[in-house]
Amino acid sequence: MTVAPATPRLIDRDDLLAALDRAAERKVTILSAPAGSGKTSLLRAWADGPGQPHRLAVVQVQRDQQDAQLFWLALLGAVRQASGTTSRAELPAATPDFNGQAMVDRVLSELAEHGGRVILVIDDLHELNSPEALAQLTRLLTNLPPHVHAVLATRRDLRLRLNQLRLAGELAEIRAADLRFTERETRELLQASGIALSEAGAALLQQRTEGWAAGLRLAAISLAGHPDPERFVAEFSGSNRTVAEYLITEMLERQPDHVQDLLLRTCLLDRVNGELADLLTGRPGSERILLELEDANAFVVSLDPERTWFRYHHLFGDLLRLELRRTLPEEVLALHRRAAEWFTQQGQVVDAIRHTQAAGDWPAAARLLADHSFSLMLDGQTQTIQALLRAFPPGAHADHPELALVRATVDVVQGRLAEAAAQLAVAESHVQTAPADRRRRLQVAIASLKLSLARRRGHLESVTEQVGFLAAPVTGQSGEDIALGNDLRAVALYNLGTVETWSPLGLEDAERHLQGGAVLAREIGRPYLEVSCLAQLGFASRIHSLATARRRCQEAITLADRHGWDAEPIIAPALVTLTGLMILMGDFGEGERWLHRAGQAVQTDTGPDIRQLLHMAAGMLHAGRGRHREAFEEFTAAERLQSQLAGSHTLASEVTGWALAAQARLGMVSEARATLAGLADEQANSGEIRNACAVICRAEGDPARALGALAGVLDGTAPVIGDVTVVEAQLLAGLAHRELGDQRAANQAAERALGLAEPDRLVLPFVMTGCRELLEALPRHETAHAALLTDILDVVHGSSLTAKDQSTLPQGEALSPSELRVLRYLPTNMSRPEIASELSVSVNTVNTHIRNIYAKLQARDRSSAVQRARELRLLSAGLTR
Amino acid sequence: MQNHLAALNHGVMDRAPALYTIRIHGHLGTTMLSAFPAMASQRQGAETVLTGLLDRSALYGVLAEIEALGLDLVEVRQEFREA
Repeated sequence: MTVAPATPRLIDRDDLLAALDRAAERKVTILSAPAGSGKTSLLRAWADGPGQPHRLAVVQVQRDQQDAQLFWLALLGAVRQASGTTSRAELPAATPDFNGQAMVDRVLSELAEHGGRVILVIDDLHELNSPEALAQLTRLLTNLPPHVHAVLATRRDLRLRLNQLRLAGELAEIRAADLRFTERETRELLQASGIALSEAGAALLQQRTEGWAAGLRLAAISLAGHPDPERFVAEFSGSNRTVAEYLITEMLERQPDHVQDLLLRTCLLDRVNGELADLLTGRPGSERILLELEDANAFVVSLDPERTWFRYHHLFGDLLRLELRRTLPEEVLALHRRAAEWFTQQGQVVDAIRHTQAAGDWPAAARLLADHSFSLMLDGQTQTIQALLRAFPPGAHADHPELALVRATVDVVQGRLAEAAAQLAVAESHVQTAPADRRRRLQVAIASLKLSLARRRGHLESVTEQVGFLAAPVTGQSGEDIALGNDLRAVALYNLGTVETWSPLGLEDAERHLQGGAVLAREIGRPYLEVSCLAQLGFASRIHSLATARRRCQEAITLADRHGWDAEPIIAPALVTLTGLMILMGDFGEGERWLHRAGQAVQTDTGPDIRQLLHMAAGMLHAGRGRHREAFEEFTAAERLQSQLAGSHTLASEVTGWALAAQARLGMVSEARATLAGLADEQANSGEIRNACAVICRAEGDPARALGALAGVLDGTAPVIGDVTVVEAQLLAGLAHRELGDQRAANQAAERALGLAEPDRLVLPFVMTGCRELLEALPRHETAHAALLTDILDVVHGSSLTAKDQSTLPQGEALSPSELRVLRYLPTNMSRPEIASELSVSVNTVNTHIRNIYAKLQARDRSSAVQRARELRLLSAGLTR
Repeated sequence: MQNHLAALNHGVMDRAPALYTIRIHGHLGTTMLSAFPAMASQRQGAETVLTGLLDRSALYGVLAEIEALGLDLVEVRQEFREA
């Protein structure tokens, strides 16, 4: 079998390489020239050139790319590969709620972080048909760090708004005229390909092709095996046919029949491999032919390092397609159908749908899309779904009611909730007419979407309705049915758990459902859903155990970071919960940092639930810093959002209680009193509102009445959200006792508050309630919580605890549990023998521990060890252990 | 490509089709001509002249095809517009 006996080689085009070198001194180079001008080959030669000190990130834009996210993921992947940071994080996976702005920021920061010289090459940029992606790209290009240069290769000038760069002299352009082969280069190309042609012949060839690279390459392929090269050039030159058509026809005719047949029958595909080519030609051995064509530089390029997938040069492919339609018109639809079947079997749904559409089999295409839109959405391919929807002929939506389900899926993801509901109604009204084998699947998909919709709207009632339906598995034996069933089930568990989190009665179910959802998501390889469930679970755990909540939030954030989703809305519940915990623990600086990060993550999500939490955390931060006006504003904003949620939610009384207390502390006592009087009995009875009532009573100068309000919280008869409420109540009681002159009762209340606060390090209530004098009056020898007390007083005195946990100690320097036990006695006045007897160990043991502690903390003596331990937050039993 | 250009037209009232002549350098063979089924072709010297009644999106489709096939476009002219 022969393709071409000699391989036309690329020649060094020194002038152009030098032009690229010069251009690279600016920020951006645009390489704008028609198909086949040799843009890609030039860039490759330049990249491979000797003495290039930079790293190269190459992105090849896929044909007709309409999905901004896929483009950006490819770009980020190329940047990471170039900066050698692939080990740092897996390549981010696509997500249903892609945040383009955050993506540009991420690419910019990774480029800045890398620091070394990077050249970013984007080839075939004209294929990017997403105005959104082009706008984001403009922002990237105008903000590139100084050590990064970008090269854009395109067939035509694009609507990138780069005037700013052009005016600043930061834009270099290389155009078609610059890319033309000169006579000298033509001769070099022929020589390199082993073709003997006279000087006149070479000149004629250069004139006829006008130095067009693709033309010369095509000519070289035909000339290489030609018995009379001079005659070939003369005939070519005497013909008026267009260069591409003449040469491609020539080249094709010189191929053996089975190679021609393979090229024609596979040219409809965006990419082809040996197996698929065998299927379409009905003959074995296609892979070898494809490899030989690539080796012959015959406009076939492999797409992977293993050389299993290939594509044709665009111009070559286009001409082949014309030739196929002309010579084998009756085969075209059948080829598309066979390709669609193969892609369906391979589970490559998008390609399958495209070829089914191309085969004109619209009902089947609609069915495929409806069946897979859900998993495509989970794969983050919403924009691809939209592109597939656009490819249906006008009016198809009336003919194929199943497309309503697809539209609803897209609408839910993109937050068009009213449109989604309308599309779902259409889908539902048609589901009964679906064949029995598919009806159940469609019903389950509809139920699951309704659940998502309900979650977004915070409608608990409509959720429970769908749940019973989803509990039964999707019937059907195929792997696809089972996979869809699992996807739907995991999503249902997530939505259900999320809605339950917000309901005062649903919390336990919420934890169970979210945990189940996370486990299932991991089993079926849906990390996006796993992160969603874990982030929500972190928030749900907050009520039962702050330590668990903190651990779960950190797990969720770690997993999200690993997938590159650190600024996605899905991780927001964990971020904002962790923020709240930091602030509760008195770590205001760190809390502020996390609050900012959480704010970034909800940029693209305007759900009232999450934004409410954000306002609450901000309010806590202000309250902790004694800024009552700002605190009041934030708590009030949180309350307003509460009214947008259907039904009352878990934290409602906390929000209202803190808003009232902040108002009273601001001096707006009568306003607070009036609001309090207007609350429903059930709410007014909650521990949080009783605490607020006590704050108001104290502001009114009536500590006795304050104690009356607190009684129900202290004796455990009033419902409370968690320990925070009780700690707060104890402190308010202590303050009231003090005002009433009962120092002993005040001390007891303060000590009880410290005891309750110790396990979770609840510092905030002490700061919010203004307990400084109460705490300072507490004799040190009377408290079992001296270390926590010291920390709290630090915060009360205005120094936010700087966050450093033990993990900031050098590797291997972490204190052992027994060393930590000894460490906690160091701030006291107890001697070493006293500590030993307290811990029931020998003095020698204590001495050994103390020696180790000094060494690990790099301390010289007891007081510097205590100082360092305080910085590292090792003194009180915190959440870190 | 065609989608993109067609999309640019949304919101513009598509005017009635008009007769266009499109002049391309070189002779188009049967394969190339099959890319322009809606147009009649004629050779004039070293050029090929395509004529056809096109509305705006059809025109952009033809221009996109010319670009994709790497053809050398010499001239596009609107001859007259139908009422």
